[in-house]
Amino acid sequence: MKKSLFVLLVATLVLVSTAIWFFSSGTVVKSIDLLHFGVILLVVAFALFLGYKRWTSEKRGEPTEDELSKKVLQKTAAISYYISLYLWVFLLWLKERIEFDSDELLGTGILGMALIFGISWLIIHFKGLAND
Amino acid sequence: MTNRIKEFRARHNLTQEDLAKKVNVRRETIVFLEKNKYNPSLKLAYDLAQVFSVTIEQLFIFENPIENE
Repeated sequence: MKKSLFVLLVATLVLVSTAIWFFSSGTVVKSIDLLHFGVILLVVAFALFLGYKRWTSEKRGEPTEDELSKKVLQKTAAISYYISLYLWVFLLWLKERIEFDSDELLGTGILGMALIFGISWLIIHFKGLAND
Repeated sequence: MTNRIKEFRARHNLTQEDLAKKVNVRRETIVFLEKNKYNPSLKLAYDLAQVFSVTIEQLFIFENPIENE
């Protein structure tokens, strides 16, 4: 229960701070900002989905983590790390060609990594780990 | 590798949830096992065999076993 509440708390904090950032920035919202907000919302939705799954497992009296979920997480971490390396190489390549603020570059990179992790988890989770 | 978990579960009148609780995993893991989308650890395979009172070889079917010469 504690972990589910923690996930909910972190998701709420991220949403509130994103809303404060969005409404207090005062400057014109650029398309890259909208992309960042979209990715943040996706990451929060993913965290809430995981929190909900954990909560329903707890409610049924099952363990929240078992050997399958741990293996899925391990494989996701390995694959998303590998893909993220290519993302950073691509972003550094892009920086030479498009005018990019270093803050924007970092933000895009970190959000991209989160997105890659989420997509990798979804693929591995629904595909399964047969013969691994 | 395939398995006969679904068949043995039906014989013992167990739901996926009951079996999950008996071997201390999530119901989802039983679903993946029955669909052959996941190969369990030796510990889980042993626990499942214990629940059904069968051997691991009876529960899991190895398609290409190493042949003894």
